[in-house]
Amino acid sequence: MGSTSSQLDKDALSEYQELTFLTKQEIILAHERFSAMLPQEYKGATNIRLPMEKILEMPELKSNPFNKRICHVFSTSQPNDGSLTFEDFLDLLSAFSEAATMEIKSHYAFRIFDSDNDGTLGREDLEKMVTLLTGDSKDTSLNGEEMGQLINNILEESDIDKDGTVNLSEFQHVISRSPDFVSSFKIVL
Amino acid sequence: MSSGSEPLAVSSRGLSATKRHKSVRKNSRRIYSAYQDHQGSSEDEGKDDEGVDSNDPEEMFQNIQYQKEIIANIRTRPWPMRRKLRVLKQAREIVLKYEGQLTRTRGYQTAGADLLKKLYRLLNNIVVTFIPWEVRIKKIESHFGSGVASYFIFLRWLFGINIVLTIMTGAFVVLPELLAGAPFGTTRSKTIPKEHLPSAQDLDTIWSLGGYLQYSVLFYGYYGRVRKIGSAGYRLPLAYFLVGMAVFAYSFIILLRKMAKNSRLSLASASDENFTFCWRIFCAWDYLIGNPEAAECKGAAIVNNIREAIVEEQEKKKDTSLAVLISLRILANILVLLSLAGSIYIIYFVVDRSQKLEQEKPELTLWEKNEVSVVVSLITMIAPSAFELVAQLEMYHPRTSLRFQLARVLVLYLGNLYSLIIALLDKVNSMSSAVRGASGNWTESSSFLATVSQPETNGLSTQMSARPNITLATITTALNFSNNQQVHLGTVSNQTGPLEKSARSQQDQCWETYVGQEMLKLSIIDMIFTVASILLIDFIRGLVVRYLSDCCCWDLESKFPEYGEFKIAENVLHLIYNQGMIWMGAFFSPCLPAFNVLKLIGLMYLRSWAVLTCNVPHQQVFRASRSNNFYLAMLLFMLFLCMLPTIFAIARYRPSEHCGPFSGQEKIYDIISETVATDFPLWFSKVMSYVTSPVVVLPGLLLLFMLIYYLQSIARSLKFTNNQLRLQLQTERTEDKKKVFQLAAARLQAPEPAADENPDHQETDGTSKEASIHTTPSPRRNGSVTNFQSPGNRGNSIRTISQSASRTKLNRGTGSGSVRSPAVTIPKRRVEYIPNRPRPFIGGPSGTCRSKSCLHMAYNSPAHCSDSNQSEPLYRKTVRPLHPAEAPGIIAAQSYGGRRGHATRYVIINEHESRKKLLRSATRIPCHYVMEEPAEILELYPRNIRRYPTRTTHHQPHSYRSHTPQHLSKEEEEGEEERDKGRRKVSLGKTHRPRSLSDLHQQAQFYIGEGRNDNHAARYRVQEDDEEDNSKGDKDWVDLDFHSPAQVNRKSAEPGRSGHHLRYPRRPSQSPSRSRHLESHVKTKLRAKLETPLTESDSASAASSSDQQNSSTDQYIQVIHNKERPSKTKLDLNFTESQDLVCSKV
Repeated sequence: MGSTSSQLDKDALSEYQELTFLTKQEIILAHERFSAMLPQEYKGATNIRLPMEKILEMPELKSNPFNKRICHVFSTSQPNDGSLTFEDFLDLLSAFSEAATMEIKSHYAFRIFDSDNDGTLGREDLEKMVTLLTGDSKDTSLNGEEMGQLINNILEESDIDKDGTVNLSEFQHVISRSPDFVSSFKIVL
Repeated sequence: MSSGSEPLAVSSRGLSATKRHKSVRKNSRRIYSAYQDHQGSSEDEGKDDEGVDSNDPEEMFQNIQYQKEIIANIRTRPWPMRRKLRVLKQAREIVLKYEGQLTRTRGYQTAGADLLKKLYRLLNNIVVTFIPWEVRIKKIESHFGSGVASYFIFLRWLFGINIVLTIMTGAFVVLPELLAGAPFGTTRSKTIPKEHLPSAQDLDTIWSLGGYLQYSVLFYGYYGRVRKIGSAGYRLPLAYFLVGMAVFAYSFIILLRKMAKNSRLSLASASDENFTFCWRIFCAWDYLIGNPEAAECKGAAIVNNIREAIVEEQEKKKDTSLAVLISLRILANILVLLSLAGSIYIIYFVVDRSQKLEQEKPELTLWEKNEVSVVVSLITMIAPSAFELVAQLEMYHPRTSLRFQLARVLVLYLGNLYSLIIALLDKVNSMSSAVRGASGNWTESSSFLATVSQPETNGLSTQMSARPNITLATITTALNFSNNQQVHLGTVSNQTGPLEKSARSQQDQCWETYVGQEMLKLSIIDMIFTVASILLIDFIRGLVVRYLSDCCCWDLESKFPEYGEFKIAENVLHLIYNQGMIWMGAFFSPCLPAFNVLKLIGLMYLRSWAVLTCNVPHQQVFRASRSNNFYLAMLLFMLFLCMLPTIFAIARYRPSEHCGPFSGQEKIYDIISETVATDFPLWFSKVMSYVTSPVVVLPGLLLLFMLIYYLQSIARSLKFTNNQLRLQLQTERTEDKKKVFQLAAARLQAPEPAADENPDHQETDGTSKEASIHTTPSPRRNGSVTNFQSPGNRGNSIRTISQSASRTKLNRGTGSGSVRSPAVTIPKRRVEYIPNRPRPFIGGPSGTCRSKSCLHMAYNSPAHCSDSNQSEPLYRKTVRPLHPAEAPGIIAAQSYGGRRGHATRYVIINEHESRKKLLRSATRIPCHYVMEEPAEILELYPRNIRRYPTRTTHHQPHSYRSHTPQHLSKEEEEGEEERDKGRRKVSLGKTHRPRSLSDLHQQAQFYIGEGRNDNHAARYRVQEDDEEDNSKGDKDWVDLDFHSPAQVNRKSAEPGRSGHHLRYPRRPSQSPSRSRHLESHVKTKLRAKLETPLTESDSASAASSSDQQNSSTDQYIQVIHNKERPSKTKLDLNFTESQDLVCSKV
């Protein structure tokens, strides 16, 4: 907030530093990147929402299979259209930053994977996720049988209470054991 | 304040902005409770309020502390920014406002802390800018993912180590020698021999590190043997030795520390738990990848991985032990072993040959000089590829083959280094014997020289040993010898001729310098080969592939040459090998670390350039962080193995006679004993002699062994307990499930008796209520009742008791003053707080344990209470619901398998009906009920369940709990109101709060009157964001009905919010559009609409409820914590309340 056309004011900057895991340089860089994406006439205005399409043009997000989900998760817009304000953008970067804790990261990862937003990863969520990962094309995507087995295996491993879905704590349990989740769940500008 | 936060909380959710300016306090509470809803601890909230009101500095201080805690931890909350901003502002304001009221010192303290924090942040920011190559690495990271970046991070880390090593050797050895040591050309060890002088500046001499380079600070031989140099008396030899050792010590320490940190990060687990599939899916994507090509690669790799996993799973049972495969693998291993042996032999041979060549020829060609290092570098380059080819024979799983490959390459590198150093030491051996032989020969042949000097230089034993060598040595050293004599003739010396001569003959034979030269040469050649391979193999290949692919008959990019892959594992191994060389040679060539620093810088730039321009990431993903400790472990291994030869050489060989700081000593480490003997006070050497005597050393060793054994056994037992706990958790879970089914079955079987029991009990309760309003029935009684009611399920009953207790507590708390309003929010906060930090399975006490402790506390708390009247009826009421819950559970039992939320809901209905009929028939106003029921069906349950589920492992408790609140509220409203309104007014005002707390039947009333709904809606809108109703509700109970729905609404909103945080995903639409959602509830009087979202969430939460055991540990801990706190009476209430509430949630 309170940003002038090219610069964040000091208070906001320090507040953002307080509230995110980003360093000053990273916040400034993020701001530059964000305002570079703004159309000219809105430069300097506060609280502009960048539509999701614009955000997805960033190379950092462009090739990410979950990019739309990421935008939706971090968007605070009223009808959830995935558009981001600068603050949402900072939230995104903070969650994906190096310094963010495991809890935060796994929390957001869970939300990203939970495509129907029902609070658990059901079979459909998992299926969608795998399809996103593998892509839609014929030769890469898994057939029904493979998918079924894959999901069964996933549930077998992670669904501790055997209710057929993976909930957040189960998810975090699994994720926290993973050696490389924290290092790969990162986005740097 | 509100004006301050307004510009921040703009746009979307600003609808309530206008209604916000009540007062600073209220506002603060609002935001505050918004915070608590999600996390935070209840006692803090209580404190806060006390502090604000009571002006007690202690409490105020605690409040401020709490606010500061918020400020400190806010970034770890998964909230949207606006929310964080608001809470932060709020907390800051409170701190600012009340801090002034504290003592001055505290103000200063906090100001100082603030300043420090700011400075720290500034420093951090500065430090970040000085981290070398940060941007570069990030760029690579964002293109190629964390795997490739891990190589560069590792490189940077090595670079850091080498810088420290360079500073150590530079500051303590090289600089003093340069500044204070004897200048070049003054002593014999520092002058180039005459016969070498003409060629000393030739390029090939320099290239082979001879000439001027050989007689420079680069190598051991240059350092003077003078014990103290300069005016300050710097003990250079001692420093040299100590620094040499410190290099190893530092490397060890830094490595081990890093490893410990890494393993702490990776939780040191994952060994016995296997989440192959989950990891492959959940952690598959590397979010850093920003390059489309890399993304494609990664996508393909993921698909492969998944397919592989599936196939593996399918074929797990199939035994594919084919004879062919086995024989192939054996063959492959034989090949690898052969090549390893071959490479070792070649190195040994080359060293041997070079030694012979040196002795036979006066002038060596460039090739002959560099033969050794070139051959070694060639082997290190070619052999890994050969291994890779061989590995294809084996047809292992890619991961296994990668591991094999790594192990083989590591063995190869080690073999290379070892055979090299052994060959060198061998050469040293023969060199020193040759020297001795030469001098011995010389004494014999030239009898005119004083033999006095002989014993001095060689000692008796050497002469003895030299004798047999003489015949051999005469031939080999003939050349040297004649040279020496010439030199001797030429030199103008004040010293005795014989000494001079023998010294000269040995000066060339400074073996330490020789080893140092070899290592440095090896390092240089290795660097050249690396650069060449990058340029030729990667760059040229990349160019060819990119530009010739059009004019070629096959697709160069995807078929044969392709682009060079960036093989992370092998490159890392190469770095390790390189570092091993440095460690090996650092003692003999103090400038080796400095050279390595340069080399690493060059490598960094070249590699990063090559990676970005002409490499594709390796297909086999070598995971970054998993490998991190793997890299380090290999490095540690390398360090140890590289240290051995150096230590061996130091301990075994005699330092060269006429060069280096230790010349003239029997052994290099004698410098220590010499210093101790001469430069320390007598007592010190005495102490040292005691310490080093076997009397001390042996027990010390024993002690060490014992310690190691002890620590190991501790580690083992910890592991054991870990496993036990995990097992316990698992069994508990299954037991919970069993219990649920058992209960359901029990209900199905015996609904009748329970139903019979119900009325009785309720009646007694009713009478007792009427009769004794003043006497508080002890909670124990309730406890026993509950136990009786639900036999066979102790855990559950206990829980219910504690809950009822907490409820009463709450009542009291609210009743004692309007200030108490936060008490309502406490439980929520607590509730939500915990799940946010998962403490997975660490030392979680068993469920029964927890519930017991809760029970205990529940008992305690009532004892504190002052107005027992209020609590008394409540107890009874809370007890009652238990029956209905079990009795009419016919329906519940049926639906248990599915969604629990529904099931319980139905139960309620039944219960209510029965109760109504049995107990209240006479006094009730029927219409009241009629209205209520449907609403309850819809809403009560969801609410309660949503609230509790998170922390309960048992499903059953939900239903119990949910009953309790209902009854409470009902009776209070209906029974008590009618009987003695005058008194009840107060109590209602008080009880009102707990009701809202547990989301009681207000909800129901909410739907009763249609006309009211608008009111609710309006009110709701006000509150939905602000939660200001607390204070209001306390004051006007007339408004209660209207008011409470609003509260309920708020609550219903809160679970949504909280759910959003904890188990967020529950309702996507809710968090952003929470307000809308709720309003729609209020306005549309259609039940159906209301039902859907709520049940959704409710079932979701119910589903998720069962595995919150992790968090419950946390709760448990906190409960204890609360208890221990010293509390004043006012605070006490709040504390205990929180305890109870916590308990109820366990």
